[in-house]
Amino acid sequence: MSSFSFLNPGFLWALPLAAIPVLIHFLSKRKLPEVRFPTVMFLRALEPREIRRLRLRELLLLILRTLAVIFLVCAFARPSVEPKGATTRAAACVAVLIDDSESMGALDEQARPRIEGAKARALAVVDAARPGDEIAVTTTTAPDAPLTGRAGDRVRLERIVRQATPAWVPGRMEQTLERVRRFLAKSPLRSRELYMLSDFQARELTPAAREKLTAISRLGARVYYAPLVTSRVPNHAIEDLDPELRPGPQGKGLEMRTRLVNHADSPSDRIAVRARRGDALIGGGDVTLQAEEARWTSLPIEWRNGSAETSSPVIVESDVDALPADDRWYTVLGAPRRLRILRVFESRGAPPSKFTALALDPLQDGSSGYAVESGTPASLLSLSRSRSDVVLLEDIASLSGDAESRIRAFLREGGGLVVALGPHADPDYYGRHFFPGIVDLAIEGLERPAEGQAFEVRARTPAHPILEGLSVNVGSPLTQARLTGIVRGRTTSPRAEAVVSTTGGLPVVVAGAQVAVFLGSLSDDWGDLPYSGAFVPLVRGLVDYAARAPSSSLGDRSYVGRPPAARLDTAPAGAVLVRGPESYRSQAQVVSDGAGFRAVADAPATVPGFYVFEAGGRDAATVAVNVDPVESDLRPIDLDSLRARSADPTKPFITLASLRTHLRETRQGRELWLFFLTTAAVILAAELLVGSARILA
Amino acid sequence: MTPATPQRLLDPHFVSKLARLDLRARLVVEGFLTGLHKSPYHGFSVEFAEHRQYMPGDPLRHLDWKVLAKSDRKYLKQYEEETNLRATLLIDTSASMAYSSHGISKLDYARQLAASLAYLMLRQKDAVGLFAFASGRGELIPPRSTPSHLRQLLVLLERLQAAGGTDFASSLHALAERVKQRGLVIILSDLLDDPERIAGAIHHFRHRKHEVLVFHVLDPQEVSFHFEREATYIDLESGERVTTRPQELRGDYRTQVRAWMDRLREFCIEKQADYVSVTTDLPYDRALLEYLSKRARLL
Repeated sequence: MSSFSFLNPGFLWALPLAAIPVLIHFLSKRKLPEVRFPTVMFLRALEPREIRRLRLRELLLLILRTLAVIFLVCAFARPSVEPKGATTRAAACVAVLIDDSESMGALDEQARPRIEGAKARALAVVDAARPGDEIAVTTTTAPDAPLTGRAGDRVRLERIVRQATPAWVPGRMEQTLERVRRFLAKSPLRSRELYMLSDFQARELTPAAREKLTAISRLGARVYYAPLVTSRVPNHAIEDLDPELRPGPQGKGLEMRTRLVNHADSPSDRIAVRARRGDALIGGGDVTLQAEEARWTSLPIEWRNGSAETSSPVIVESDVDALPADDRWYTVLGAPRRLRILRVFESRGAPPSKFTALALDPLQDGSSGYAVESGTPASLLSLSRSRSDVVLLEDIASLSGDAESRIRAFLREGGGLVVALGPHADPDYYGRHFFPGIVDLAIEGLERPAEGQAFEVRARTPAHPILEGLSVNVGSPLTQARLTGIVRGRTTSPRAEAVVSTTGGLPVVVAGAQVAVFLGSLSDDWGDLPYSGAFVPLVRGLVDYAARAPSSSLGDRSYVGRPPAARLDTAPAGAVLVRGPESYRSQAQVVSDGAGFRAVADAPATVPGFYVFEAGGRDAATVAVNVDPVESDLRPIDLDSLRARSADPTKPFITLASLRTHLRETRQGRELWLFFLTTAAVILAAELLVGSARILA
Repeated sequence: MTPATPQRLLDPHFVSKLARLDLRARLVVEGFLTGLHKSPYHGFSVEFAEHRQYMPGDPLRHLDWKVLAKSDRKYLKQYEEETNLRATLLIDTSASMAYSSHGISKLDYARQLAASLAYLMLRQKDAVGLFAFASGRGELIPPRSTPSHLRQLLVLLERLQAAGGTDFASSLHALAERVKQRGLVIILSDLLDDPERIAGAIHHFRHRKHEVLVFHVLDPQEVSFHFEREATYIDLESGERVTTRPQELRGDYRTQVRAWMDRLREFCIEKQADYVSVTTDLPYDRALLEYLSKRARLL
């Protein structure tokens, strides 16, 4: 129940001033001047009609003047009311959650980093703390840091808040909320509050994080949201980069492939992407992206071969926009080399199909960037990662157990696999024996269209890297190709993705980790695909994808927040030290990893940049560490969906002023002096109006 | 109040301005003197004014034979013609005429206006009388046209005092019975009486073939009621008391006064009398000139 009080009750002694209008009224009535006048007869005629109205008006004026004085005095006495649910009387346990993730470095509507707004709000909460309150400040990137306790330690709390800066790592909202929940649950205070100061990125507030919020609400805590932004800010980002250079069009020059993404509801402006080695500009280009488009883009690179330049740190930058952290990508470009493909087919008395070999290496000299080696299934027994990057199984009926084992080991070593089925492939073998553990794809048998009909295909996942070089629009070569048979398959988990399918929904191309499966035939046994313009880019896309697909080990990208790791070809002589930007120093542990060794730093990388592994006094490897672009999409979540989960939803504080007003009202009560002052002004205005109405008339 | 003197009442500057206009009587007055305008009678008090060269067709009886004999030139003698008028000035001396809001009372104003009119008329050889009246009393000087008569009129005007109520109708009815010869009756009053009774008195004069001219003299405050402070208002004649705030009643008061004046004007028009409303802040000359100009237009 609300309670009413005055913060300056001393002013109430002035209330007798309300009697002044009454005194003036009666004093003015006591002695009136007398005027001798000839035409009093006209006044006498008017008086009976007017007298009642005059007396009523005088009474009304008297009441209005008295009320005006009362309200004016009350305004100076600072009336205050304690709103429902407020904690002005009792101490509270308050948790302040500051989102200091990477996205908080983006600029807000006032062109300041969002974190500055969060800090201002956090300071307001800390400043409003009363003696006896328990208050904790935590950040989303360091939920494990110790929480602070009493409000009396305000200086330390404010220092923590002021030291908050946007981190280079994604926030860990779920863990942070769990930590907050435990803090609030442990407090003996009945009144509990959580202030979430964040840009409320949709991707950060995962279902698990929302569950934590619900759990906090169940503790009886009131959750207050202070969003730093209210709408989505367009942002583009460099998401990935292929460190291996590829031959350019027609085998001329070199290209570097960069994956760009446009997180916006509208097409991007022209984005300038530039690559530099040291201070030297070595390549780049301009890119325009559609709304929500993510695309691999090939940029021409000038690369001089030389023994000292076989691998070199390169920085790729795009135009800076809302979030500068994701507009730069560090990479160590390797010396350009051809992709080594082991093409495996079975000799069945007839010459093997030439389509695949022509698509990959038409001149058979490696100038296309693909070095194709042909072999039978028996050659798989000597399969080695040092000799091949990708294995292409083309219309193989089945494999021996040894060959199969060798392929699985090859995949573990980071190799890639492309499986093209065909009329001779045994669906039962692939479905039951080969694919399990390699790709989550169930095989159900052959599928033929009706007599005289053919399958039409369409892109199921248009932005997939396999389709990078393909046009997937209606009327493009891909959609005009006709398939007369496919192996009927079905993905069994999200890890396997149907990239191309028939118009009836049957998968034609399926992508898994390091593995691409073509459920048709790469020869002309099942349709005219090899003759279409889509064949060459599709085959190259399958091979590129399998070669580039991230492996579970060394192929991982190095991101800030994780320990840098490097592959070493030889065993290091002595301890391995890691040097990085901003005085980063760490030791590294070396483990055996397949054919080589893997060194992993003890400390996580703190900032993006190049980290050098030293062994025996010389540089053994250089790795690039980047910012995880997972926070690039600045789309905020719909706060109503969060508030709906709370039993007692609170109003979001869009501005700092609204938060301060809320704090003042909940800590000191809602002050009503402005209301009283305004009311007094309105009453005085009414008094003037009533007093002058007759005169004006 | 500053005592009035004959010299002040007959301000030469004021009189000289009036002398440029003729007061033109509208009625044909029976009398001994002859007016020239529309009168069927020719008076004999004709004064020579100037000569004019004879033009063929001019009547020979006005030819100046003496000039013809001396110079052999033909000139006509021209004469200044005057109207013979018998006018009576009626001045209200009731207590309400003493009211003054800016230094000059209604009685002062009426006194000076009457003196000016008397001088003007006597200068034209018209006969002027004066009747000062209030409730239950009245003093009459019969009309005469001798120059010395002006002095007598001014003496009476000078000693007039405002007192008593206005029994307007009774006084005028009594006067109408006493003035036998037709003439011009000029009333100077604030007319604070029943308009019906005032109309009856005017009708009485009209019935006796008199021409009636009413100067309705009011103080500006009586018209505008521009008081500011709340006060008790006491009637000058009846002693009635009304306590009120002027700003509350001002609008309705003005409406009532305007209606009252309109009613008086309508009664006068109905009785074929002339009605001129003046307030005491208006200059005398302006009031008279406006009236005379209006009369000139009417004729």
